[in-house]
Amino acid sequence: MESSTKMKSISRRRFLKKTGWVAAGITVASFGAVPVVRDKIPALPTFGAPNDKDGLTWIQILVDGRVRFYCPRMEMGQGAALGLTQVVAEELNIEQTDIECILPDTNQTPPFQMTVGSQSIANFFDPVSWAAAQLREALRAVAAEKTGLSTEQILDGRSGFKLPDGTTIGYAALVPAADFIIADNRLIENDKLKRYALRPTTDHQTIGQSWLHHDLTAIVTGQMAYARDISLPDMAFGAVVQPPSFGARFVAANSTGATAIPGVLGVEIDEAAGFVGVVASTPFILSEALEVLDVEWQTGPDLGQEQIDALLDVERLRAEDDFTHTLDQSGDLEVGQQSALHRSSGRYDTPFAAHAAIEPRSGLAWVRADKVEVWCGTQDPFFVQKRVAKILDREAEDVVVHTHRIGGGFGGRVMCQASEAAARLSAKFNLPVRVQWDRAAEFQNNYFQPGFSHFIDAGVSEDGFITHWDHDVVSSSILTGLAPGLIGKAIDLATPDQGTTRGIRPPYEMANKRIRHSAIRTPVPINAWRGLGAAPNAFAIESMMDELAFKSGIDPLQFRLKNLPASSARLAEVVRKVGDISNWGQARIEDTGRGLACAVYKDETAVAVVADLTIDHAAKTLRVTKVWCAQDCGLVLNPHQVESQIMGNVTWGCSMTLNEQITFAEGRVEQDNFHSYEPLRHGSSPEVHVALLAPPGTPPAPVGESALPPVPAAIANAVFAATGHRCRRLPIRYEDIFAETG
Amino acid sequence: MEIVINGDMIAVPDDLQNVTLLDFLRDFVMLTGTKFGCGIGLCGACTVHLDGVAARSCQTYVSDVIGVEVTTIEGLDQTSSGEGLHPVQQAWIAEGVPQCGYCQAGQIMTASALLHRNPAPTAAEIREEMNGNLCRCGTYDRIRQAITRVAQEA
Ligand code: FES
Ligand code: FES
Repeated sequence: MESSTKMKSISRRRFLKKTGWVAAGITVASFGAVPVVRDKIPALPTFGAPNDKDGLTWIQILVDGRVRFYCPRMEMGQGAALGLTQVVAEELNIEQTDIECILPDTNQTPPFQMTVGSQSIANFFDPVSWAAAQLREALRAVAAEKTGLSTEQILDGRSGFKLPDGTTIGYAALVPAADFIIADNRLIENDKLKRYALRPTTDHQTIGQSWLHHDLTAIVTGQMAYARDISLPDMAFGAVVQPPSFGARFVAANSTGATAIPGVLGVEIDEAAGFVGVVASTPFILSEALEVLDVEWQTGPDLGQEQIDALLDVERLRAEDDFTHTLDQSGDLEVGQQSALHRSSGRYDTPFAAHAAIEPRSGLAWVRADKVEVWCGTQDPFFVQKRVAKILDREAEDVVVHTHRIGGGFGGRVMCQASEAAARLSAKFNLPVRVQWDRAAEFQNNYFQPGFSHFIDAGVSEDGFITHWDHDVVSSSILTGLAPGLIGKAIDLATPDQGTTRGIRPPYEMANKRIRHSAIRTPVPINAWRGLGAAPNAFAIESMMDELAFKSGIDPLQFRLKNLPASSARLAEVVRKVGDISNWGQARIEDTGRGLACAVYKDETAVAVVADLTIDHAAKTLRVTKVWCAQDCGLVLNPHQVESQIMGNVTWGCSMTLNEQITFAEGRVEQDNFHSYEPLRHGSSPEVHVALLAPPGTPPAPVGESALPPVPAAIANAVFAATGHRCRRLPIRYEDIFAETG
Repeated sequence: MEIVINGDMIAVPDDLQNVTLLDFLRDFVMLTGTKFGCGIGLCGACTVHLDGVAARSCQTYVSDVIGVEVTTIEGLDQTSSGEGLHPVQQAWIAEGVPQCGYCQAGQIMTASALLHRNPAPTAAEIREEMNGNLCRCGTYDRIRQAITRVAQEA
């Protein structure tokens, strides 16, 4: 029983790989010569955006006329593969069943940009569409050759072409026996290449349809293989002793207790790397082995929440008038202040946060003399490849990373530390080794969203226009968050972090403004978390907008419209739309409140949100009951998928506003499971209503994180509407509002 | 000692009687559809049916389930009379519920046990019953729609 089922999951992967090489008829490009340069600088994530020609390596036509699509995006539920599959289908006039969509391993395509920042559709739409169109035209040329007709006489059909005499010729009949690569000089020039994905939406055949994801059946039957589900015959089971605090240094270890346990194969101690891991022939004794493994650490700085708060304290920096970067400055703040009839100023804080994906990460590695294989779920398989190669002192091309659907990414899976540990242990013990993180490791040993501390002083003129905007923000660098000590400091001085400052420039007209920023590094490891700085920044900006509207006695929706410049027309449109669908302006009911906020994500996707909140005094809780979201993300490839992303972002936004906070004591994270860090539960989740807007001819814009930024402010504004209490610090808890009366 | 999983009799080695049902399923029987999320009963990813009732397999020991019918997501379709997938699985596909999908086996097991006991749950009952199953991707709205669809089609 054991071994036969064991084989099942792995043989399925092997089968996929096998068909990947054998069945291809035309392959539109060769990916044999993947340029991989070994270097001495640290392994870096895969940043480069794709260009059109990359698309040629992702799409193949098979002998049966079907199309294989090595989708260059990792899948974690955002469904990018589905939308891009629809682009392939649109160009090639084929059905969903005609496409085999494959999550590529590192040896199946050249390196591609890591799957972060909601860039999948925005950046990959073009190369995928271009390459699929080139393949279609290459097939048309084959059809012309075969029939002796001109390419103009070969008309589009379904899964093939129509000939002038009314007969059809399917793609299967056009696939030559030998491999076929479209030579550069056979590519159609860009101005002559018809791109069906770019035609008006009313002409689209598959784009804009709500295709369902090809993995759904496997998911609902438990057959989907996540990294945690992979096993190899004769693999061993590893576990790692996690350091007790940030910056802890390994001193000594005594492994005799652990190695005495029957089934424990050995303990690997790498002093320089601060690595202590144990390997066993069965997974059932790992926790016992870890318990008796005696490791002495020299702990890092005895850091507590107060020290962290003191480091990221915007008021301290304001007092010292010491900000590294002025991100935006125009007009004269003093002039603005003098012309303000109403003024508001305040400090807004958001806490450190964790990803809390439901799947704790896992890696399986098999290190051999000629080849290293890794099985994992990661947002950047080529980064994992490079990092594992570094650790093992091997060439990157010796390492193959087999990719798996990720059980929740949200920025937290750029690395897969469990795979790195598995590789160390496999190298040492000459066996395939699997390492799985538990929930505590996931909460305490990954990287985090940094805390943000804002101060805004702003004002409104008599006629309701913003007179000035003085905004200072301090946080930690995110995109370069993992850069080591002095290098990190140098980066912070040189340039403001694009992740931390995402969305920091308000979309409103304001003549006199100044936005300043300092990044301060703490011992806490920092990197991407859903939307990066966009949600914390929008929380401050859109809360202040609500304060200004209230002070000037103008309806918050009208106040925004009034202050949006003509260049923000798409944002104004979603603000109006969310007003319509939510029936904005209806009368207030006791103990309920309604708040509005809006933002533009990455200067591309315009989003407006209305949240309804109810206060339950008996349960002492705040609950978001309904959320309306209007979003303009340009061309929508798959409305169902976009709606799902919006629902996900709304839920995430409620969770970050009401529930989530990472805190520190004695140099470590205090939270270790879902009781102390509890994402929003079903019972507290709002009903979500979505309206999608797309002006004709607009290209697809980011979706995966775009609806998140306005949500926290919409909720805080609803709390104000319900209680008159302005909450400027997340998370917002019932006790904070009703401290005296509660 | 033997236990019954999805209708199959499985012999339990002596040294595995005190491991959790979740670990036993995943690492001995190699039924990996049941997921680990938290290990302490807080997320519901590990939900299975014990005699048709939803239970957390991470909080259940193998020795607890002697004489009990264990059903996992892999065996769920056998528990419904119709053809093909269980109606809850079908509704999950029709409503396109899953995002990352990792929590969904647990969600489906909780929902199918609820609908078995109460074929027409109210909105409040759905919220309450499903409250123990976390979904970080935020599929709660679609889960409600899928459960309502099953209730209406029944
Ligand atoms: S793993 Fe059992 S409830 Fe979370
Ligand atoms: S679908 Fe991803 S956690 Fe539920």
